[in-house]
Amino acid sequence: MKTAYRLFSVFLLAVLLLTACQTPTPIVQTIQVEVTKIVAGTPEVQTVVITATPAPTLAPTTATGPVVIRAGTGDSGEGLAPHQTIIQNFEAKNPDIIVQLEPVAGSDYYARLLTQLAAKAAPDIMQIGDDAVPNFVSKGAFVPLDDFMKQANFDPSIYLPGLLDPGKYQGKQYELPKDYSPMAVYYNKKIFDAAKVPYPQEGWTWDDLLATAQKLTKKGADGKPEIWGLQLTANWTSGFEYYVAAAGGTLISADGKSYVGHMDSPEVIHAVQFFTDMYNKYQVTPPPANLNQWAGGNQEFANGKAAMFIFGRWPQAGYLKNPNIDLGVAPLPKDKVRANVLFWSGFGISTTTKYPEQTFRFLNYYAGEPGAQVWKDWALPAVKSVADASGKTKDPIDGVWINELNYLTPRAYTFTPYWGETADPALNKALQTVLLTPNADVAATMKTAAQEAQTALDKLLNK
Amino acid sequence: MSQPIFETPILQPRGLHKALHYLLVSLAALLFMAPVYWMISSALKPNYEIFANPPVWWPAHPRWANFTEALTYLPFGRFAVNTLIIALGSIIGHLLSCSIVAYGFARLRAPGKGFFFVLLLSTLMLPYPVTMVPLFIIFSKLGWINSFLPLIVPTFFGNAFYIFLLRQSFKQIPLEFEDAARMDGATTLQVLWHVILPLSRPALITVMIFTFQAAWNDFLAPLIFLHDQSKYTLMLGLSFFRGGYDINWAYLMASSLVVTLPVIIIFFFSQREFIEGVGYTGTKA
Amino acid sequence: MRATTPYRRREAIAFYLTIAPWLAGFILFMAGPMLLSLYASFTSWDLINAPIFNGLGNYRDMVEDARFWQSLKVTCIYTAAYVPLDLAGGLMLALLVRPRLRGISAYRTIFYLPAVFSGVAFVVVWVWLLDPRGGLLNLALAQLGVQGPNWLMDPKWALPSLVLMSFWGWGRSMVIFLGGLQTIPGELYEAAAMDGAGGWQSFWRITLPLLSPTIFFNLVLSIISTFQTFTNAFVATDGGPLDATLFLVLYIYRQGFQFLNMGYASALAWVLLAVILVLTLLVVRSQRFWVFYLGDRPE
Repeated sequence: MKTAYRLFSVFLLAVLLLTACQTPTPIVQTIQVEVTKIVAGTPEVQTVVITATPAPTLAPTTATGPVVIRAGTGDSGEGLAPHQTIIQNFEAKNPDIIVQLEPVAGSDYYARLLTQLAAKAAPDIMQIGDDAVPNFVSKGAFVPLDDFMKQANFDPSIYLPGLLDPGKYQGKQYELPKDYSPMAVYYNKKIFDAAKVPYPQEGWTWDDLLATAQKLTKKGADGKPEIWGLQLTANWTSGFEYYVAAAGGTLISADGKSYVGHMDSPEVIHAVQFFTDMYNKYQVTPPPANLNQWAGGNQEFANGKAAMFIFGRWPQAGYLKNPNIDLGVAPLPKDKVRANVLFWSGFGISTTTKYPEQTFRFLNYYAGEPGAQVWKDWALPAVKSVADASGKTKDPIDGVWINELNYLTPRAYTFTPYWGETADPALNKALQTVLLTPNADVAATMKTAAQEAQTALDKLLNK
Repeated sequence: MSQPIFETPILQPRGLHKALHYLLVSLAALLFMAPVYWMISSALKPNYEIFANPPVWWPAHPRWANFTEALTYLPFGRFAVNTLIIALGSIIGHLLSCSIVAYGFARLRAPGKGFFFVLLLSTLMLPYPVTMVPLFIIFSKLGWINSFLPLIVPTFFGNAFYIFLLRQSFKQIPLEFEDAARMDGATTLQVLWHVILPLSRPALITVMIFTFQAAWNDFLAPLIFLHDQSKYTLMLGLSFFRGGYDINWAYLMASSLVVTLPVIIIFFFSQREFIEGVGYTGTKA
Repeated sequence: MRATTPYRRREAIAFYLTIAPWLAGFILFMAGPMLLSLYASFTSWDLINAPIFNGLGNYRDMVEDARFWQSLKVTCIYTAAYVPLDLAGGLMLALLVRPRLRGISAYRTIFYLPAVFSGVAFVVVWVWLLDPRGGLLNLALAQLGVQGPNWLMDPKWALPSLVLMSFWGWGRSMVIFLGGLQTIPGELYEAAAMDGAGGWQSFWRITLPLLSPTIFFNLVLSIISTFQTFTNAFVATDGGPLDATLFLVLYIYRQGFQFLNMGYASALAWVLLAVILVLTLLVVRSQRFWVFYLGDRPE
């Protein structure tokens, strides 16, 4: 067993060495609790020692010392930097509160959040995405904010249009905006210039979109396109709601009870037909790279091989740095209706928090003007005055996004809390079907989808 | 005297067989390394080059800086210490508890043994997404959340996988050794310590390697039990690179490669012990 | 078999003493969650509020749930393909790296390396490699004049693609087989050679039978763990395209954490457990026909 012992001693040595390389922290007395933070972009671990009665896991309770509130977020990586800056600024102004950020990347965030909720151990302030709001709020996870807002003289008009709505449920405000994005058309000026095609302008239509894409698609020597006119988002259901809205249709009835008659309506069929024709009939759109990745995983636009891309603002930072692209952003084309949809995430206060007042103070700071000041360097700020003052409203690129907020239509999930379970899989399947089978009967596919979704919904509504 | 199987001359290829053997194993190795090669080459590219079509085999200007940048982006040193502590604790816990329990299953007869064996295996059959919520509630009531306790303490109570592995190994030891020891008056624990364990070195090292790897690569459990960032493990740190839309693939690849190194190194150096170690000696009484 | 003699009685007590650590841990950490999830399977539970009892409702819904049957089918097909290949592949690799040739330890490490990569990165690399248009695999096939399929994007090829990816995990069973090969006394081969047995014969007559405990171990564990495949499907395909790779545990995760139906998810999990249990029992029962321990004692 000698080697086993040797390996163990190596372990022990490694642990000791690595621990020794850390800055020594003071021995924690029973009256002091360490709150640690890591700072994205550096290998530092900052520790703050506060005086409080110790609680082993969650926010220590104390009447005299500073209060620690926990903030859960689904951002990670570089996306943490604005959070940390805002927290730092807030703590400087509010020395009686310390905010401990608990970030978890992407899809695992909800797994952890729900597990914590089940054990009544959730963070004090939680971030959730737009389509999760009805679900979580209707189940009692969040505290209504209206009273807090009144007490703090909160002014809802400071926000750009449409940004408070996703955080509302049955008329009450539960969440305040963290970040958001409508959709728009990215375009690569290099390709437009090379083909001598004029840039897209406000007021252009779906026919214009098709014509432009056709002019920009260039076939190579082997007959396959070398340059594509337009990159689309495959089976991304939430993004597809724009096409439905622009065609003047809806996916669900206003009372949230029927898909049949809506998801299979002529307007929706027209939207689906137009969408898949770009792929299969006119072949101006590259086939999806990966139907299992968000929005089809296509890389053509990023590689400078597609002239346009209809999507949200998320990859913009990367595109601006990308040498293949000379970026421009254009408003969405209209069909019957000039429409857009909003993607959004916000923060709300948990019903199990022990410090509602302090938590709201932080929320107010975060979602208000001070937070927006920090956010403007990372994303679109939610507060109008900050957007104007920083020049974003007039900016040739960011101004387009902000302008799109004037055309928002309600998202489908707002009509029923069962959207994700019933309609989303059916719509996803329908989109995959029409994309994978070139001659699919769109009308029949949508009829099947509507039926499938309706059956599932009826079952849930009749429980 | 029985030879260790790996020194059995008849099993060593020679001449043409040897050359053929090398050829075969090299071909297989090339295939196995292909995805790893792609990871390395992706780690060295700037992000927009990763998806270039036609693909770039080796970047024109390899960004070795990606490795250092990725690893200093977050306190990976601290994450490594945390993971080491959990791994070390798990190894000790497993080796101690699993060998005792495995011996019982391997050698001792008792009514109800079959039932308990099936019960043992059944603990592996319920998927983690379903057990993790009740587990979290239990640990939350114990006050162990946000510590390493939920990750280490259960290992001192055995783990079905390793108990089963060691059971198989213990059952391979010829009975004569134990019978001889028992006739000399040894108790169960003495038999275990003096007879069984020394002869089970390969299996025990396997348990050690697999436990280390499992602790190193564990994601879901640390995800839900640790919410203080300074207590995060390496896998949680890696998940940071998946945040947002603009996933930093190069950093993700680079850090994944480096994080896997310790497991590989441990495996490489343990090989002598558990593959080429001495086999059983003297089966003839 | 009753413990009739004092010796046997002492042996029985010794048995229960040795498994006491595991039993205690089972009661403390496993029984609770298992029973709780069993209870949950008879409830409606959105995780935010307490579970609400609803009898056999979840199980009745399951029968009518097309997605459930699809996920059961996907999981069974994948397991039936993966398990024998994993055993055969691991054994093949173990035999390849068994001899004490120069540099062979490097080869062993190379084969083990892909099995060690956990988490997202490795699966992501595979998704890139299997990209129908830009991925290396199809480009390589094109060089040979073969038009590669759409791999993870084609409902017919998605599951086989995952099986293909799983080959790189053979290193794990290889390691276990290497340990098992170790226990076979070397002189058996010499004796066989002296009797004129060829390589193939000694493989069938010596190696395989004496390796049976290891094969048994790998078989049981492979079945149990493959039925619970989750990460690869979650990262590579998220169950698609068109539910072609909707593994049962993935469906369970979705029902529990995306649709907030933890009660239904628990019911699904218990059905999964029942399926795995039945299969495992079959294999365990079959032991006496083909598993042979060097140090066995008649039970």
